Amino acid sequence: MNTKRILVHCLTAALAALSWSGCATAPHVVEGPNKATSMGIDTEDFSSQADQMIQSLLTSGVLDKASHKPAVIVVGRIVNNTTRQLDTDLLTKNIRVALNKSGKATTDVTGGALSDPDFTLSGKIIENRVRQGNIRQSTYTFQLSLSDQTGMAAWEEQKEITKQSERSGAGF
Amino acid sequence: MRNSSWTSLWVVAAAAFLAACASVNTVERQAPVGKRQMVPDRRVITDQTLNRIVTVLGVNEATISTGLLKIQVELLNQTTSTQNFAYLIEWFDANGMIVGSTSSMWMNRQILPQQTVAITAIAPNESVKDFRIQLARK
Repeated sequence: MNTKRILVHCLTAALAALSWSGCATAPHVVEGPNKATSMGIDTEDFSSQADQMIQSLLTSGVLDKASHKPAVIVVGRIVNNTTRQLDTDLLTKNIRVALNKSGKATTDVTGGALSDPDFTLSGKIIENRVRQGNIRQSTYTFQLSLSDQTGMAAWEEQKEITKQSERSGAGF
Repeated sequence: MRNSSWTSLWVVAAAAFLAACASVNTVERQAPVGKRQMVPDRRVITDQTLNRIVTVLGVNEATISTGLLKIQVELLNQTTSTQNFAYLIEWFDANGMIVGSTSSMWMNRQILPQQTVAITAIAPNESVKDFRIQLARK
């Protein structure tokens, strides 16, 4: 009788272990559209914002008016005015890579010490939070400016991304 | 009394249904001045539901002043609810080889009921001659 009981317990434990291991997912690379989204600024958000900024900059034609061909751009400061810790290189690196690949501009990483830059790129990321009942919303505004040697703005752009989540009423 | 309760219930249900299905009204010029250069396209539809969520109305292309190819994909949500979808644009050179780009990744978008949205993209460089757009449900 006791042996039977022990056997049943062992079987239950084995089944439980199996079911738990069945729920676990081994780490894997995600390449499709179903990446997790957070209320913060995700890597995909930086990429999409950078892409929109590059589109705007290339369409404006301002790079063709530069004295250098391709135009020389110094990447200045991107101010993080959000409550989150962000590495703004996620934005600027995307822009630099795209500009360099386009052949329309090269970027000077020395801050203008070694070259005579045509433009300086600077910007700001701003966060605005709203809470309405169980709904939480964060709007991130990306502002970028390209100023010429006289300090005049040659190109400016602003893009927004809004994220919303709803908290469970049960308080989970 | 009983009838009025049923009527109230129907009114509430109808209001809830209408609120959920609030769609988009659109106004535009009767005879558009801008002439679009539409691209004859070939479509591979493997998900009919997705095809209703984001119906591709057409692809318009142009070359911008810097010599780069620009495309605009017009999408329509034929359903009665707000939908989330993702898209990926890939670029190809004259030899049909894929051209890598920082923007060649899945981008998320939301589309309202009966809304038409335009997705625009600019080729990463002048070697790009072709493109491919992929759409997926989120």
